[in-house]
Amino acid sequence: MGRVKIAKKSTFIDMTAMSDVTVLLLTFFMLTSTFLAKEPATVVTPPSVSEQKVQETNYVQVLVNPEGKVWLTMNNDTASKWSNEKMRMALLDKVSEIYNENYTKKVNFTPQQKLAFSKLGSFGVPLSQMGEFLDLASEQEGTTKMDNWLMGKDENPNHTTGIPISWNSDENKPNEFQMWMKAIRQTENENLASAIKDGSGVAIKADGNTAFDVIHMVMDNLQTIHMNKFTLLTALKAGDE
Amino acid sequence: MAEIAQDNGGGKGKNHQKKMQIRVDFTPMVDMNMLLITFFMLCTTMIKSQTLNIALPSNEKVDNVENMSQASADDAVTIILDAKRKKGSFDVDSVNGKVQTEVYYYFGKPGGDEGMFGAGGSIISANNNLEKSEFLSNEGTSGAAMDGARGIRKIIQDRNMEVLKEIEKLKVQFREGKIDQAKYDELAKEVRRNENLKKPVIIIKSTPQASYGSLVEILDEMQINSIAKYQIDNMNRADSVMLIDYQNNHHE
Repeated sequence: MGRVKIAKKSTFIDMTAMSDVTVLLLTFFMLTSTFLAKEPATVVTPPSVSEQKVQETNYVQVLVNPEGKVWLTMNNDTASKWSNEKMRMALLDKVSEIYNENYTKKVNFTPQQKLAFSKLGSFGVPLSQMGEFLDLASEQEGTTKMDNWLMGKDENPNHTTGIPISWNSDENKPNEFQMWMKAIRQTENENLASAIKDGSGVAIKADGNTAFDVIHMVMDNLQTIHMNKFTLLTALKAGDE
Repeated sequence: MAEIAQDNGGGKGKNHQKKMQIRVDFTPMVDMNMLLITFFMLCTTMIKSQTLNIALPSNEKVDNVENMSQASADDAVTIILDAKRKKGSFDVDSVNGKVQTEVYYYFGKPGGDEGMFGAGGSIISANNNLEKSEFLSNEGTSGAAMDGARGIRKIIQDRNMEVLKEIEKLKVQFREGKIDQAKYDELAKEVRRNENLKKPVIIIKSTPQASYGSLVEILDEMQINSIAKYQIDNMNRADSVMLIDYQNNHHE
């Protein structure tokens, strides 16, 4: 009587197919991904039934945190004549021009500082501190220091974050936030200027719990400089018709 | 697949080569891919933000008041947004980390036809026509969108019934495939602007402590209820007086 022979089976599992699938998935995610931009404040936008998607380029994002601090982010068409870098470069020139017209204390930026500014993501420090802020870029671990400054985690109490903003309805005496917005409109970027005119060029991003007072101030500031149309960034709300 | 079996051709010669299999183990490769996928999945935002367009009136003083379009008291609905927060601050008075929003409304003029103020600016509580409502979604999920509206939505809906009925007719046509999306949008726009239909003018006001989220919510209600005319305005004295008067008389 021979013993029942149990066929020796290999435990080797062929992973090739699995590998194929994962590579495909990986490719998909790599191509569709847009990285979350690092922002100075984390806000949860309120849900809305609006189905209009945010435009990809040609808008300025005004980020407002619940304490009423304001930061700007430029979103330009990187392929066009006005790339983000170029736009920011022109913007800094323009804003310092407007600033120097209004204040006796002048600001001037060196070419290195301008270059550093052109590489920023979100920005928003008082112009009087902008030079010092931009000098950090050439230091060791400069970007971390800049991020900390923007997020208000800087240990130096003189380093304030957020573009100075206040209630102001006098168009001829703009506050710094209004100066920035005016400067954006005055750069020769026609695409952005026309987007601002039809209301898609300025997007306000704020947390749902923010007090209306804070938002009202930002809106009022924009109204003063004749930017009466703008958009509010919201998240998708499901279920309601 | 990942193995190459070398066949020796079945010959039984001297040069009998050992049957060799070249197998590549793909397991580490899969492991690494999975890690990368996880990384990309966590770092991406698939859902893009939505936007809500708003247009505000210019801040400039208008000299010619007569030329401004005035809402008749019949059509006017004023909505006042408020929120409960920690006393004396704009901090969140936390119930699940959310601000408790409150919404009030009144029809026509503040204090009705007689007004809120008596002789010498005294406040007449009896004339307070402010009512409290809530943000509520529709009750139940079946049926037309108009059924089961509650809270502030119901109030707005009732005032805009004539327009909404016309829109509903269009929706039926659209669902039955008689008209396409573009045609529907065009007709709906016409209905919303139709001067012959009775429709409200809604004035949205917010107290300083009201939340931004509730503002977006009320703007949503405008969209849901196809309101053609609405505006965001500042609180005036009568509004504040009425709100405080209401809150004093309705303690919970």
